[in-house]
Amino acid sequence: MAVQAGQSMAPDPGAAVRASDLVKTFGSIRAVDGVSFDLAAGRIYGLLGPNGSGKTTLIRLLTGMARPTAGRAEVLGVPMPSRAVLARIGYMTQSDGIYPGLTVGENARFFAAVYGVRERGQVDDALSVVDLADRVDAVAGTLSGGQRRRLSLACALVHRPPVLFLDEPTVGIDPLLRVEFWAHFRSLAAGGTTIVLSSHVMDEADRCDELLFVRSGKVIARGTGRELRDRAGTPDLEQAFLSLGADVGATR
Amino acid sequence: MSGRRVVAIFRRVVQEIRRDHRSVALLLVVPVVMTGLIAFIVREGQSPAVGAVVVNPAGPPGLVVAAALGAALEADGGSATLVADEAAARAAIEDGSASVAVLLPAEIAPGVAMTVTILTNGLDPAGEATQVAAVGRAMLAATASVTGMVTPTIERTTLYGVPSDDPMAPFAPAILGFLAYFFVYILTGISFLRERTGGTLERLMATPVARGEVVGGYLLGFGLFATLQVAILLAWGFGSVEIPALGPLPSFSVGLGLPIAGSPLLAFIVVVVAALGAVSLGIFLSTFARTELQVVQFIPIVIVPQFLLCGVLFPISSLPEILQPLVGLMPLTYAVDGMRQVLIAGADLGAAALQTDLAVLTAVAVFFATIASLTIRREVA
Repeated sequence: MAVQAGQSMAPDPGAAVRASDLVKTFGSIRAVDGVSFDLAAGRIYGLLGPNGSGKTTLIRLLTGMARPTAGRAEVLGVPMPSRAVLARIGYMTQSDGIYPGLTVGENARFFAAVYGVRERGQVDDALSVVDLADRVDAVAGTLSGGQRRRLSLACALVHRPPVLFLDEPTVGIDPLLRVEFWAHFRSLAAGGTTIVLSSHVMDEADRCDELLFVRSGKVIARGTGRELRDRAGTPDLEQAFLSLGADVGATR
Repeated sequence: MSGRRVVAIFRRVVQEIRRDHRSVALLLVVPVVMTGLIAFIVREGQSPAVGAVVVNPAGPPGLVVAAALGAALEADGGSATLVADEAAARAAIEDGSASVAVLLPAEIAPGVAMTVTILTNGLDPAGEATQVAAVGRAMLAATASVTGMVTPTIERTTLYGVPSDDPMAPFAPAILGFLAYFFVYILTGISFLRERTGGTLERLMATPVARGEVVGGYLLGFGLFATLQVAILLAWGFGSVEIPALGPLPSFSVGLGLPIAGSPLLAFIVVVVAALGAVSLGIFLSTFARTELQVVQFIPIVIVPQFLLCGVLFPISSLPEILQPLVGLMPLTYAVDGMRQVLIAGADLGAAALQTDLAVLTAVAVFFATIASLTIRREVA
């Protein structure tokens, strides 16, 4: 740890999200293998890597859903897991995680109540952000896949969290909706929200402020899309990922 | 019709089931174990030795009959003891020191018709019937051994009065308690499983909600429906509403009209507390299931043994000795006994037996609710 601290810059005291030597093992598999980073408030970070690279486990460690085998995860300066901080985190899981038997409005109001939101207006706001305000009374199970995804995002936004974790938020949605989602993310970040999202789609990674390449449970590179392409000397991110991760992939 | 496609589907079915070890066990092992258990209960089931007390107001002739009765009972491992009067006999039945009391008539003489009354506890009608039958046989043997004695008429009564002649009455307490328990378990188990598999539990755990709050909310929600279910079930069971004849329709009654000695409200409380235990059990067991089929697969493990051992099907007193300790471990045993206390004995909240039943049922509900909330996987409680 001392070596790593010496290598990186001085820790940012105002980091919204911080990982310090995070390790999570499942039996002999090291799903997260010594990850350290500081993420600043009001920026969009993309965790990029192939399926099974450890992105979801990393997000689960950061949200306190799983306890690290070693190391430490902090959100808003508080070590996770912490119930108090959960009230200030929005989490959109890979599966939609909504109640198909409830209506759109009932789903959003349920999560608002669980988060302790009292103002009715916040629920309406979250639903209009994702353009579902006119479907409030539709039963969630009857929605299209894209609408369900939007409802899922609304449920993660309903308490206006300063930190938002989105696990593969744009998987399985059409290009039009993807553009809408990114517009939402941008405006949230502009309002000071820190967004950490995971993706294995390289072409949307350029929309993030900063990228973290995840491979075999390690963060193998970090920087803006342009920086990473320049460092690898390749024209696109996909090739940059392959070239920057060549040595790591071999060790697994 | 293509044979090849049929074979392809056949192979797919076999491959899938072969890999699902629980289904294989359900198909191949569980029926063997269950028939074995049932055969064991039926074959090794004991006709428990009759411990009888005899009241003899008839003087020396009665003593002769009592001695003959005692000899007949002792031949089957039982016993007969003389007690002073009917009050002493009732006390002996109530405290369990005797299972049957035989009340001889005031006059016993050769050639005189006599009526013998056999008194039992009354809480376990089916189990007591075998005992009454055994005493009846012993009584016949006893009178036959005394020359000139007329074969007696045997009347049956219980501590709580003459047993109802409604053939459903002996089963009602157990069946009502069991059904409420069973359906609530299935419903809760499956809906909590949906919460786990649908990803909503994961999302819920990422909110400030506490695990106890989740289980508490489920208890309230399913408790509401369990309460409704029990209310309807009991109203149907105990109620009997005459619908008057209307035009060509003859009059008929709605409801089973089962006899109930105690307060229907108490019966309601017993079943609701038992059902809340089933809600907790459903949440807890859903941890070990990944599909709805697997929740159903728990039935032979969780529900069937309770069904066999709680006295619904086989009287507890007739179960083999080895299984007796298990009886006390089954939550349903207490639900069934509580229902019998209320329905047959007319117990009120002051009755010790009913207090025990309610206390155990409450403890079971609290216990399973606690471990259910502990099995919700999360790092922050």
